[in-house]
Amino acid sequence: MRYIDAGYAVALSVLTGYAALLWRRWRRLERVAAPPQKPPAR
Amino acid sequence: MSAGAATVPRWSTRSTRVVRALGAASVLSVAATVWLGLWVTPPDQTQGNLVRLVYVHPPIAWVALYLAFGIAAVSSALWLWPRTRSRFWDRLAAASVEVGTVFTALTLVTGSIWGRPTWGVWWAWDARLTSTALLLVLLLGYLAVRRIPADADARARRCAVVALVSAVDVPIVHFSVNWWHTLHQQAVITPDLSPTIHGAMAWTLLLGFVAFTLAFAWMLVVRYRVEVLAEHLEDNELDVALRERRSEGPRAAEPLPTGAGAGHDTTPLVTTPTP
Repeated sequence: MRYIDAGYAVALSVLTGYAALLWRRWRRLERVAAPPQKPPAR
Repeated sequence: MSAGAATVPRWSTRSTRVVRALGAASVLSVAATVWLGLWVTPPDQTQGNLVRLVYVHPPIAWVALYLAFGIAAVSSALWLWPRTRSRFWDRLAAASVEVGTVFTALTLVTGSIWGRPTWGVWWAWDARLTSTALLLVLLLGYLAVRRIPADADARARRCAVVALVSAVDVPIVHFSVNWWHTLHQQAVITPDLSPTIHGAMAWTLLLGFVAFTLAFAWMLVVRYRVEVLAEHLEDNELDVALRERRSEGPRAAEPLPTGAGAGHDTTPLVTTPTP
């Protein structure tokens, strides 16, 4: 069973890690690209 | 080359309901595949419990070989064709290749983990395995070519050519089990869509194909958006640099000196603008 566990663990952890990396890159770039917010008027 | 904020369509950078739904559907379907594959389906008559790896390995290989590489090859051809040339195709090909590289590496790793208890070796110079490894090298080559500094059009042209040349390997991978005597088994799902496995196993395998296809689609969309935003920021930085350079006055517009003594020009390239 250890080969099966290893196969699933490798596949799922690599895909989850890559998806998380993509998500973080996207959110960071989105924040940088967003126009600066105006400060609220007093 | 300048691309202002208005030139980037909102749909291509922002999160949308469709993308969120796609992400949720891929997580749920992958979880269902794992649950069915590990706990519900019975062991195989000849392979025993090792058949459970078949619910992830062929779907990952399907995404890597046919989906990712198919999209990259078609997008590259559409970019090279003058009538359909658009930055969209270049970005789509780049996104597909990067995500496809991850899936191709996983294809080799999960196949190797299945091969060790089945064949007794982690790796064999088998036609299917070798041609898939070659594909991974070609994909890495594409990503390397993409990182060579160049004008956007020149980079897109080089990458499109690399993708199309690499695409020759895909039919070799596909037909390798028929053309040569290989360790790798023949296809379990034939072109007339009649699987040679049956019942819960076939449905779990089918669900695996759907699940990893959805996961690939989500990754492709997000990777495409990263590409759009990165290019947008790069163009903006170039615009700012050009504006700063122009604001330095006519001296900055003079051509750079050539010939003897050219290397001793001490004029700074960037000066602080005077108020």
